[in-house]
Amino acid sequence: MALQNLKDFHRPDAIEDVLALLGKDEETLILAGGTFLRGLEARGLLSGVEALVDIRRVGLDKVVADNNGIKAGAAVTFTRLRGVVARQQEAWLGGLADALDRPPVQVRNVATVGGCIAAACPFFDVPTALLALDAELTIRSSDGERHLPLPELFDGLFANTLEPGEFITEVSLPRPPGNAAGAFLKLEATANDLAIVNVATQLSIDANRVCTRACVALGGGVADTAVRSAAAETILVGSRLDAAALQAAGEAVISDIDPMSDHRASAAYRRAVAKVMTRRALERAVARLA
Amino acid sequence: MKQMITLEVNGERHELAVEKDATLRDVLHDQLNLDGPKKGCDTGSCGCCTVHVDGLAVYSCMRYAVACDGAKVLTAEGLSAGADLHPIQQSFIDAGAVQCGYCTCGMMMSAKQLLDETPRPDEEDIRHAIAGNLCRCTGYAKIVDAVKLAADRLAG
Repeated sequence: MALQNLKDFHRPDAIEDVLALLGKDEETLILAGGTFLRGLEARGLLSGVEALVDIRRVGLDKVVADNNGIKAGAAVTFTRLRGVVARQQEAWLGGLADALDRPPVQVRNVATVGGCIAAACPFFDVPTALLALDAELTIRSSDGERHLPLPELFDGLFANTLEPGEFITEVSLPRPPGNAAGAFLKLEATANDLAIVNVATQLSIDANRVCTRACVALGGGVADTAVRSAAAETILVGSRLDAAALQAAGEAVISDIDPMSDHRASAAYRRAVAKVMTRRALERAVARLA
Repeated sequence: MKQMITLEVNGERHELAVEKDATLRDVLHDQLNLDGPKKGCDTGSCGCCTVHVDGLAVYSCMRYAVACDGAKVLTAEGLSAGADLHPIQQSFIDAGAVQCGYCTCGMMMSAKQLLDETPRPDEEDIRHAIAGNLCRCTGYAKIVDAVKLAADRLAG
């Protein structure tokens, strides 16, 4: 009983009902898979919550995959998205496929695309992969709809920029142009632990195999949020993605991260492995380019 | 105030009045007297509480019971048909995969999802499938053997 002020547990059938519930003068929390909530509850951080709103029955469980990319409803589970990504067999989705494979099956079956980013937890795997894919969010409120690039959702450790009355309804992943591939790597202490460091990379090359677009995202406590490394990306774009360029990009991430020390690893260790993990994740993406 | 929910557990329908913040694990254990879903970490790290909800393995400690209203739940108790053990259960016994036994029910439920989807798993498939279940006794070798044995028996 760590939700001692919980008065209502709603399971609405329509988005309009969710918006109405969010408009009430209550401490309300949106719930999808709920895998993150239980950890917060166990730490006594949800004692003020008066109402939970389960959004898994409001029609946000659909995935559309076409030539433009992928659009996933906020309540799509990792298992469902993993199935769609696996059927696509596309190199540009390689990083997302890697990341979706990391949580244990019990989490994959319930955790959702919207929930994992709304949690703004810097230790998760899937948000890092979504960051490298230039994910865009659709956000609903009673005032209508707005779109937000994923980085603008993150507002520090476990904090997001959603306004009261807003919630995420869709995550959109645009297909990168041309010959593109992605990869994701996670360093962890045990098979079912959060990341010490994780890295997602996305690369596009032209007909001369020169890099035209690069995304390097890092998570796992390298900062208060998952972050993009502009320094690494700048080195990669225009290069031929040879060993020296990948090495230099790995070294460069240092200037874009501010690692924390915790029971999993020290900041110094995270800084050291972030460079190596970045280089390896880049090598993995390069190997997947057609 | 409690909330009424309906659960079909191991083929039997139950109308239950549950606390709004009760976990599925606590309802299964405390209200339906099922010992299969064990309380280990209670925050989704150990896998001892693994059950199937609508055919998929989940940490029952991470699911609010109210959010499972209307679901079909399968616990380790529901694997066997009466006195006849399920091949997964028999294989855990025959392979000596049970030491203290606390992780066993969760391990078997993760194994079941694997074998439901992948009837002929290799060792890597098996180790990946039980990655969300901790065993602090055995070093996993005999558990992996048990799942292989169960796969052979189920595939006939």
